Amino acid sequence: MKDAAITLHINGEEHKLNVAVNRTLLEVLRDQLGMTETKYGCGTGECGACTVLVDDRAINSCLALAATMDGKRITTAAGFAHFGELNHIQQAFNDEAAIQCGYCTPGMIVKTASLLAKNPDPTEHEIRHALEGNICRCTGYEKIVKAVQKAARTAPGRTVKADAACQEVAQ
Amino acid sequence: MNAETIVGTSAQRVDVKDKATGQALYAADIQLPGMLYGKVVRCWEHAHARVVRLDLSQAAKSPGVVKVLGPADVTRNKYNSSVMDLMVSAQLHDMLGDIDDQDIFTTHVKYQGDAICGIIAKSEEAAERAAAKVIVEYEPLPVYLTAEASKQPDAVQFTPQKPGNRAFQLPEAMFPGNALGGGDVDAAMQDADIVVEDVFYVPKQKQCQMEPHAYIAKLDNAGRLTCWTSSQMPKLVQAKLAKLFELPMSRVKINATVIGGGFGARLGMISEPQACAMAMAVPGHPVKLQTLREEDWAISPSRHPGKYWMKIGLRKDGTPLACDARFENYKGAYYLDASGTAFTAGAWLGGMYKFPALRYKGESYFTNQGLTGAFRGYGNPQTNFALEQLIDRACAQVGADPVEWRKKWHKGVGDDGWCPGVTYPSCALDECLDRGAAAIDWAAKRRKYANQTGTKRRGVGCAVMNHTSGAMPMLLEHTVCTVKINEDATAEVVFACSDMGQGSHTALKQIAAETLGFPFGDVQLANPGSDAGFDIGAHASRTIYVGGAAVKAACEDAKRQLFARASEALQVPADQLDIRDKKIFAKSDPARSIDVESITRAGVYHFIDPMTGKPEGAPGQIQGYVSFFAPHNSPPFGASFAEVEVDTETGEVRVLELVNAHDIGRAINPAAVEGQLEGGIQQGLGFVLSEETYYDSQGRMLNNSFTDYKMFGPSDMPKIKTILVENADPVGPFGAKSVGESGLVSPVGAVANAIYHALGIQFMEAPITPEKVLKGINEKGLGGARERARAC
Ligand code: FES
Ligand code: FES
Repeated sequence: MKDAAITLHINGEEHKLNVAVNRTLLEVLRDQLGMTETKYGCGTGECGACTVLVDDRAINSCLALAATMDGKRITTAAGFAHFGELNHIQQAFNDEAAIQCGYCTPGMIVKTASLLAKNPDPTEHEIRHALEGNICRCTGYEKIVKAVQKAARTAPGRTVKADAACQEVAQ
Repeated sequence: MNAETIVGTSAQRVDVKDKATGQALYAADIQLPGMLYGKVVRCWEHAHARVVRLDLSQAAKSPGVVKVLGPADVTRNKYNSSVMDLMVSAQLHDMLGDIDDQDIFTTHVKYQGDAICGIIAKSEEAAERAAAKVIVEYEPLPVYLTAEASKQPDAVQFTPQKPGNRAFQLPEAMFPGNALGGGDVDAAMQDADIVVEDVFYVPKQKQCQMEPHAYIAKLDNAGRLTCWTSSQMPKLVQAKLAKLFELPMSRVKINATVIGGGFGARLGMISEPQACAMAMAVPGHPVKLQTLREEDWAISPSRHPGKYWMKIGLRKDGTPLACDARFENYKGAYYLDASGTAFTAGAWLGGMYKFPALRYKGESYFTNQGLTGAFRGYGNPQTNFALEQLIDRACAQVGADPVEWRKKWHKGVGDDGWCPGVTYPSCALDECLDRGAAAIDWAAKRRKYANQTGTKRRGVGCAVMNHTSGAMPMLLEHTVCTVKINEDATAEVVFACSDMGQGSHTALKQIAAETLGFPFGDVQLANPGSDAGFDIGAHASRTIYVGGAAVKAACEDAKRQLFARASEALQVPADQLDIRDKKIFAKSDPARSIDVESITRAGVYHFIDPMTGKPEGAPGQIQGYVSFFAPHNSPPFGASFAEVEVDTETGEVRVLELVNAHDIGRAINPAAVEGQLEGGIQQGLGFVLSEETYYDSQGRMLNNSFTDYKMFGPSDMPKIKTILVENADPVGPFGAKSVGESGLVSPVGAVANAIYHALGIQFMEAPITPEKVLKGINEKGLGGARERARAC
């Protein structure tokens, strides 16, 4: 299988890589770079466990060939935290007890970030609609929806309470 | 956080940061030096066949391949991937007839996905390429998808040990007439004014835990086999693997990884035997074995589908007289858990209502469907679907309100629970029913939705359930816990207990902190897998009720030792001491106190004063220990209320609201308890409305993917309300009963009964899909389109 030379900007760091042209972004992140925060749940675009941001758009990384991502800015769930400081979305998932087994969580958090970037004040209906592609088998979505609502309320710039570390990461 | 208030608060989960950032390590995330990759070659073409030729020579030559393993290259010992055999006495084991009928690699394929051989390669890709070069020829055998088919006298036998392909029936020696219950059912039915009966079909539901099964195994140079697995039962899996590979347990080690959801799918073993067999072929190298989602679907056990006959008899005043039932489940290809669900479905039935006469027969038949085993609820949703619908039908006939009837006739304190002779120590089901009914506005909506004629019709329904907290006295209930007090007055609780995501580690830590009187942050909980003392594992909703009681007992042991030393130092009797803010003090005179750390440090760094020859403080590190056997099973109860809207033109059932009111004894961590009930609702709604694994006539799965298997998504979920009814149980730790499984059970009956209220039609087959609803509407002549035309 042929390789392609690409550059990815992942969570603010540049990675120059040779990737086999048939490798998905998920496989490159997990197997080649050891960034296992992005999860495999189905490999066929049906569960959202592998959601990452490409520039500001959330995609299923199991469906994207890494070779087509040259020059892109990729953000994973780990990219939101800053030396152990959770960002407002992660903190909201914590506060609302929206994490059980945690396997869907990185994808949910990334999807939430993309939703709030487009729509900072989503209705409950819009939240549920936005999360349709992300399956959670533990929570019944109830607390996840509440977490997204809280994340919207506590987004940096929307309240005076947003902490500095979060703002820094968001910028 | 002050120690005194930590039980009963929604303390922050111990694993939340790791999970929110994705740093939690599930088995597939673990990378080890020198790692090789395994691939199990499975039979996807047939659900029943004999392997007549297996040629591995081309695969062995494929680039990157290290070894290929056929049936002859691994132990020929058979196994049973369930752990039921380890949890019953030898006598009961013989009675239940548990057998070992699985092979690591088989030559008789019994379900689609059965394992044929294994590849070990330097990369996953290389293993996959080699897998495609394995040559297998099959002789197809007749495929039996139902009990009716596999019990035919001329059917191919799945194992010589189970003639007639009957894997299990309730044993005569324990259940006379092969039936659970008592009283004269036939005579009582004769006396009944009203008899309702039906045959129900319950579906093959899949756990769909989000983390597909993955393992790493390694045989190290000292001859020790280590397996990294997300099993719910590290200690029993250790015992199982030791037996299978004929190794002493001291040479089998289980590392418990973070678990991406269990729901029963990780009870016992799945592919640990294959992963370990591969590791044993390449000593010194870890072998990683990951499963694809569609593979996970095939190889891990699902909920038992089958036919459920049920008949109940009542007096016309509503007095229940008799219940007669038989559940014949389609077991799937192998024996594992054949006895469990066949028994428990009847146990929950017997534990629910005051039927003076009960006869329940449970049987399991081999079929060529995929495996069945443990799934959250374990026979309970099946029983709920049948029983709760018949109760509502009977209520309609006797003119009783379904809530009032249930309040009058459910079993309660002092009655026999699911296991005859073990009575209920607590029951707050009446409060669950009252509060649930108020929350959904039961009385008003029952009236409002009677006699609707429009296209969209609403209904409200209710259902109740009982479950268990651990499986005493049927199964072993043993947990060992140690708590080590560090020299700086912090504590480490060691317990081989898996947190499948429900938050049990956090709740157990709360119990430990509260019992010791230590700050929450000063207590750690470690699950070192098989290096810890014995524990049967996380199943039967036992972790808080039994495990929590064990943690409490071990902490009490440590605290007793600590107080004995404080008593000595302060010259105050131990029973007159208390602990707060890291000090032990006399209750009558708090100024008379000693720092906990001064005791613990002197115990560990214990010196003799060289000048005086006197010891400084009492010697020895304090460790609490318990080998705990649960004295009871304090069942939880629950009531669910559903409001639905049925579209009579499309057959679609929309659940508008679901109230889950549960008698959980006491919530150690309320947010975690709510999470269990909310997640349970999603799975219960799936069981009754949308989830089933389908097979074609040749036993091949038609919908082993998240697109084709419909789970409730965020937009499908109704408005949810959970009500925690806290009525402290006299046995459970801090009054707690279980909550892990129960949340999904009664939503099943509540939704079915709400549909009945909306349409006046009951559906005997779950899931109640739009097709079935339309068929029922057409049969009953409730033409939605016609009605609407008339209304316009
Ligand atoms: S793993 Fe990519 S959507 Fe499921
Ligand atoms: S928390 Fe387990 S899948 Fe969402």
